[in-house]
Amino acid sequence: MRPPRSYRPIDGSPRLWESRHGDRRELWTETVGELPPVYGERWVEDGDRRLRHFEPGRSKLAAALVKGWRGDLPAPGQAWLYLGAASGTTASHVADLVGPEGRVYALERSVRPFARLLALSERWPNLCPILADARGPREYAALVPPVDGLYADIAQPDQLAIVLANAELLLSGDGARLLVALKTPSMGRSRSPTAHRTASEDTLADRVALAPSVSLEPFHRGHFMIGGRWGRMSRLPPAPSPRSTTPRERRRERRAR
Amino acid sequence: MRPTLVVGSGPSFFVIGPGARALAGPFAVDADPRHAATRFDTLGSQELPQGLLVALERVPADQSLSASPDRLARAVSEALRRPVEVPAVGDLRRARSLLPRPDPNVERQFLLALARHRLEQALRSPEEVLITLAREEERVERSVGREERAAESFVPVRDTPLDLHLEAWARARGALGELEDALRRTLESEAKRIVPNLAAVVGARTAARLVAAAGGVRALARMPSARLQLLGSRRRPSPERGPRFGVIYRADRLAELPLGRRGAYARSLAALAAIAVRADAITHRDISAALVARRDRRVETLKRRGR
Repeated sequence: MRPPRSYRPIDGSPRLWESRHGDRRELWTETVGELPPVYGERWVEDGDRRLRHFEPGRSKLAAALVKGWRGDLPAPGQAWLYLGAASGTTASHVADLVGPEGRVYALERSVRPFARLLALSERWPNLCPILADARGPREYAALVPPVDGLYADIAQPDQLAIVLANAELLLSGDGARLLVALKTPSMGRSRSPTAHRTASEDTLADRVALAPSVSLEPFHRGHFMIGGRWGRMSRLPPAPSPRSTTPRERRRERRAR
Repeated sequence: MRPTLVVGSGPSFFVIGPGARALAGPFAVDADPRHAATRFDTLGSQELPQGLLVALERVPADQSLSASPDRLARAVSEALRRPVEVPAVGDLRRARSLLPRPDPNVERQFLLALARHRLEQALRSPEEVLITLAREEERVERSVGREERAAESFVPVRDTPLDLHLEAWARARGALGELEDALRRTLESEAKRIVPNLAAVVGARTAARLVAAAGGVRALARMPSARLQLLGSRRRPSPERGPRFGVIYRADRLAELPLGRRGAYARSLAALAAIAVRADAITHRDISAALVARRDRRVETLKRRGR
């Protein structure tokens, strides 16, 4: 018989859980929502907690965690602005991470994914959908109070400029958190994905204290997770112990590099 | 009761029309029943340009303004005959940092109501209706086709329960076919109304599918013909060998050509379609007769060349 999985919270993120099964490590978020699953993911009950599987193949944030992202994550009680929420796959997990006291303002521009995001928000108690274009933060500035964090996943060539315009107007100030799932396939083929990442980091470095970025290969081709804390001189969180991944994942990571 | 319009402008925003005050809750700053506009203010202390509300009172409840603050400022400037400033980012930031946070529950209810309203407005536009119809028609076509293929694989045996079932099923399929025809007629008349030139060149159904695949008429009008030709094809283009069969392979008159000439026809048709949709989206002129003549000439040339 297989031994039962045991779930334990990950250091520094009380609502993010992991289970280990031999060599395999899986991520889970403690959910604030109700069944049914948002996109067909697994749910388990562990004591009085309901955990939702956080798949790296579906979500860039989960992929970043698997690839060893050491920067900030959404923390309980915070308000986050989510740009490019689409139908809410990752947005629901961000909402799980900020917990019932937190708040996620999820922005989406295209109508049909937004209809699904709205249906999700009706049953996800801390998710607020906004139908607007992230290009014009002034148009929805009145709807979003100053937020503690900004998560962006925008398929636009000028995604970084959009992120900066939003961060400048809507973040609460220095020390606020920034997570950008950089989509280099949308940024043109004049540069390689790595060159796009370097250029983007150079642009951000003027305004943001950057955490080390990670590549999201092989889960999301040409994507990187970059980010850090708003304000050049902001202090970054201390790095966790380096052996937080399994040997198999370290091998895979070496290969991907 | 639903508000008809939401106008945002940085620190404050307005909801205009009947039902606006029902939404107001604790955000409402000005809820005088004489005004068409209800002003919501999440910033409290920030003062709006003097006279903005005066100008908005003159806006009839059914008029739609753009949500862009710059355009709003221009409209108000014209109404007041003097300039109105859009606040700078720094000022907005300072004002926002002074804010008291609204009650979370009321705020969420408000945002959900606003989202429902905006979504409904967006889905109501003729273009979105066309896109929805095109997708629905594609789905119905697929399921009817699947049913017909499934029916062929059954061998009816007389006077058995299976036979009775199949008979009932055949009647249901007939009804489904009628539904499909009705849907197709609606789709075609909508397409002819919204993209008349494109519908004339490639056929109404293909025109609707092209608009749906591009996500809108303007998005389609911005596309070069090479992209338009590949719209709806399943594989991503690669340098050596790309996908070939997109939506345009279902265009009018393509089936008349021999297999070896269809690619050439699709290429020239995509070029004509790109011109047609630009006329539909931008100039709104009827150039369909000239385009159809060019298309037919091309068909004849390709037929003569044969293979």
